[in-house]
Amino acid sequence: MKDITQNMVKNLLSDRKLTQLVIVAVIVFATFSILVPELFLTSRNFVSMAFQIPEIALLALGVMLAMLTAGIDLSVVSMSNLAALSTAYLLVTQVTEGGGNVYVWIVITLAIGIFVGLVAGLANGLIIAGIGVTPILATLATLTLYNGIAVGVRNGQSIIGLPEEFVAIGNSSLWGIPMPMVILLVAGAGVAIFINKTGLGMQSILVGANQDAARYSGISVKKVLIMTYTLSGGLSALAGLIIASRSASANPDYGSSYVLLAIVIVVLGGVNPYGGFGTVTGVILATAVLQMVASGFNALRFSQFFYQLAQGFVLVAVMVLNVYVDKRRMAAKIKKAPKES
Amino acid sequence: MFGTENISKAFGGAIALSDVSFSIEPGDIHCLAGENGSGKSTLIKIMSGVETADSGSILLNGQKFRSLSPREAVAHGVQVIFQDFSLIPNLTVAENIALSTDVSEKRKFVNPKRNRQIAANALERMGVDIDLDATVQSIPVSSKQLVAIARALNQGVKILFMDEATTALTRKEIDHLFGIVNGLRDRGVATVFVSHKLDEVQEIAQRITILRNGSVTAEGDIKDFDRKSIALAMTGQEVNEVRLAPEVPANAPTVLQVDSISSPGRFRDISFSVKAGEVVGITGLLGSGRSEIAEALFGMTSIESGTVSVNGTPITLKGPRSAVAAGIGYVPQDRLTQGLFLHQPILKNVLAAAIERFVGPLGFVRGKSIRETVTAWIADLKIKTTNPQNPATSLSGGNQQRVVLAKWLAMTPSVLILNGPTVGVDIGSKRDILEIIRQKALDGMAVVIVSDDIPEIVQIANRVLIIHQGETGAEFDGAEIQEASLYKELAA
Amino acid sequence: MSYITPVSKRKGLQLFGSPNELFLIAAIVVLSLVIGLNNSVFFSIATPFDLLRSSLIEILFALGLLIVLVSGGIDISFPIVGIFAGYTTVVIMLRFELDTYSLIIPLVLAAIVGAILGSVNALLIAGFGLPTLIATLGTAGMFRGFLLSYVGSVYIANIPLGLDQFSTADLLSVETSAGTLARLHVLVIPILILAIALAWMMRRTMFGRTIFAIGGNEESARRMGMNVRWTKARIYMLVGALSGVAGILYISLQRKADPYDLAGTELEIIAAVVLGGASIMGGYGTVTGTILGVLLINLIKDNLILLGVPGSWQRAAVGLMLLIGVIAQAIADKRRLKQTVTVAEEDSE
Repeated sequence: MKDITQNMVKNLLSDRKLTQLVIVAVIVFATFSILVPELFLTSRNFVSMAFQIPEIALLALGVMLAMLTAGIDLSVVSMSNLAALSTAYLLVTQVTEGGGNVYVWIVITLAIGIFVGLVAGLANGLIIAGIGVTPILATLATLTLYNGIAVGVRNGQSIIGLPEEFVAIGNSSLWGIPMPMVILLVAGAGVAIFINKTGLGMQSILVGANQDAARYSGISVKKVLIMTYTLSGGLSALAGLIIASRSASANPDYGSSYVLLAIVIVVLGGVNPYGGFGTVTGVILATAVLQMVASGFNALRFSQFFYQLAQGFVLVAVMVLNVYVDKRRMAAKIKKAPKES
Repeated sequence: MFGTENISKAFGGAIALSDVSFSIEPGDIHCLAGENGSGKSTLIKIMSGVETADSGSILLNGQKFRSLSPREAVAHGVQVIFQDFSLIPNLTVAENIALSTDVSEKRKFVNPKRNRQIAANALERMGVDIDLDATVQSIPVSSKQLVAIARALNQGVKILFMDEATTALTRKEIDHLFGIVNGLRDRGVATVFVSHKLDEVQEIAQRITILRNGSVTAEGDIKDFDRKSIALAMTGQEVNEVRLAPEVPANAPTVLQVDSISSPGRFRDISFSVKAGEVVGITGLLGSGRSEIAEALFGMTSIESGTVSVNGTPITLKGPRSAVAAGIGYVPQDRLTQGLFLHQPILKNVLAAAIERFVGPLGFVRGKSIRETVTAWIADLKIKTTNPQNPATSLSGGNQQRVVLAKWLAMTPSVLILNGPTVGVDIGSKRDILEIIRQKALDGMAVVIVSDDIPEIVQIANRVLIIHQGETGAEFDGAEIQEASLYKELAA
Repeated sequence: MSYITPVSKRKGLQLFGSPNELFLIAAIVVLSLVIGLNNSVFFSIATPFDLLRSSLIEILFALGLLIVLVSGGIDISFPIVGIFAGYTTVVIMLRFELDTYSLIIPLVLAAIVGAILGSVNALLIAGFGLPTLIATLGTAGMFRGFLLSYVGSVYIANIPLGLDQFSTADLLSVETSAGTLARLHVLVIPILILAIALAWMMRRTMFGRTIFAIGGNEESARRMGMNVRWTKARIYMLVGALSGVAGILYISLQRKADPYDLAGTELEIIAAVVLGGASIMGGYGTVTGTILGVLLINLIKDNLILLGVPGSWQRAAVGLMLLIGVIAQAIADKRRLKQTVTVAEEDSE
């Protein structure tokens, strides 16, 4: 445990992008604390943020995994809704209307929900790695398809009236930490371990860094990509289940603006869209930053549209900054002493 | 008169060119020779206006220029044909040739008929016939090169730089190219061949300028130079050509057996075998199929018929993984794009192929054994680095190649295939890499080296196989392996 | 001395545009027959008229997207640009009490606003070199956020009269056997003309050829002396203007200005353009194919009911078509890459 935290702190400080992110987080925190302390600096606010961060962070982690392999997953929200609907439908029919044992069904339906996400993600992986469609187009297509399926099977309607026991999961706390946050930390740790400590995880970074070289190194690019997108599906499903539990409903069109948000988070969190670099810490931290912005805006009575404007702006600004920083770093490198020989 | 006078250029602290002067008259054919990092690319870039020199001047048409813009360079007749030809794959041959005219004439509208005529004229002047309406991506490489030359001609080229022009051509195509270049000469075009393939260049060029580390180390008429003196000027060292071929024990088992493998369009009926501890060299001109054989043995391209066996067991080669599983390792031709993960740490690079060996039952990687293994290999191959976490870009060419080698040696392959292992590697590392190969052979590995570097093959191979137009040609064994005989066989 | 280079044997497949378009036409015909046989209501003059009416605006958007795709990029902000430009135009016209009957004024205004928004994209993509997907994802958010925060988020029912009346400007109206009126909107003509103009532009102007060149090999285009940056900038400004015009026309045909409209329609349009044969890698695509793609998708969408498919499955149908389209594209792209002849096959010894 100590080793893990030590590593996290070491990463935080050594990685320049992460350090910058920490500074940004501090600035954002300070700004809103000064502007609207009575609304921002309340435990109620922090608890509320702690409840809202996990779902979007999980979606962002799914996108991150895809980006590590130099791809992208735009279908995360659709997959999460599909998973949520599956679970919700079963719960409602089996428990609320069918009167079965709640806890048994909760476990079963949760498993099924995750399974739905994994299958959707697997389909993505097969289309991308098996057929060879570029990730942008593939996930754009599946995003529509999955959303379409979700709308079609329920005729566009949401599912409400989920059993209390299920709702309690998303709204309760464990030793003071909201359950969703606990789930996020566990899942986040899982993803970090996957990337850094498993064979497939290391291979996915290499695939993202240079797909050709990966192939020439005997890495099964197909296997890696399929696994990556499947995992993304699983994480999306997890997010969807948390959303369903917290809001006691499942909606096929929920969170349509979350795709932009997820990408902003991922880019802000230091993930390289061209592949090969990214950290879980960065993504979660970036989610926190954006959540602070959201709640700060809320406290300042800014509209949600302004929040969307800010998101777009942040995304563009971070990318432009990256271009400049890279240019300067290139110039500095060329100035340095000649290569080691 | 074209050329440069006292050109110097530095990038930050690194000197690319130092007081370089050379000249060429219309109708001359000049060779610009130098190893990677000698500064020849920078020189070309300065002459074509892509880079600006820190001091010195450029001479075009007898006029002196302190600096040039790319447009000015083109206007004065400077054209560069890079190795990728800079063509547009989805446009037609006619458009590729003629559009540049439209661009320079600042036209707003395109007249397809006119463009076809322009293109037809350019091709006719070269005595070449290529389908004008074919998209460039569908024509063979040699045709693409001809289209690139036609385009240059069309833009009124006066001095044409050709960067490693013969790399992707067959013997016949090279002959044809040289014919075209001679034709250009008759038109008063000055041609600069940038090449390190001295034997080919000697056929065509009259004068040569040799660069090393940014300075001109030798220049003069080609007939005053021989391979040795050119190599000396390029590398600064007497090429030590002591034979490094390992001694193969008489009863060594056959590790790799290749029987009549064929891949339509690439090679036909290739057979050879490699014993444990043997180094077999495979050479031929590019386009002969030598590279394709190497890639096929690694499973990158399919083998339609024939069998390949490793240690007596026939294997099916379908993708690199099957090759790796059979105990075959491959050091690819293009180190930068195929061999390395440039921005990833050296450690990860060395590990890239062997990751699955360090994975436990649950998929977790054994961190400690990885670190130990990688450190050991870095030491074994004498990779000079201060920190294995540094990115691979921090290494010189020679060290980078060692990383690629380490990657495969970490897999302890039965067969190691190397394709052009010392291209772009400094002379010291070249020797070291050959020594490493020799050592591993002595340890029992079967080695196949595919290369167009004859001296290198002469140094290291026990047997040499010549590939000619996709088929096996002559074979040389032991003492028969002599440069002169190899060159003779290649040119046949 | 002459040296004959073997002509590529696969010349037929090169013109992938054509086979693809034939396939689309075939698909449209077959589908029409299937739908019609299922429900003969389909076989009425109203069907093509309605199809055209519902497709016209999308065709306009799709043509803009086609240009971007051919250049090797992708743009997902165009519907937002459209509604932004259209809504803002209406707001301006109402605010400043501009001539309510004019059509020219709103069209010009919308085009200008669209071009301004497009130049933001141009700055990011051509100026800073940002990857096109992420850049336009960002600008889509910015534009939408800005529109709804600062320009207005109210539904406007009383749009300027000229625009309102335009929605019923029909070229032809025919009474059908069912007693209803089948109307062919006058917009068919200008859009047809625009399509022809764009096709001509892509094939016969340097601007158009440069776009193809950039999509084929940007670096080579640059080395040929083409001004890649400026061309890219112009592309996004042009697409912005086109989207703006499409947006105001949309408002006209809908007879209302709802700032929440059009968002999310980019997927369908991308589907249409990809089905129409444009490659996301750039360098390939035709106007004809794009129009056919839009028609095919709308044919299916509008007539799902006649096939017995409930409306709630429309989106899934679009998603499926998009999926088929991109898979077909990927396979075609793969085949195209394999066309390169490595060894001169007819070279005799």
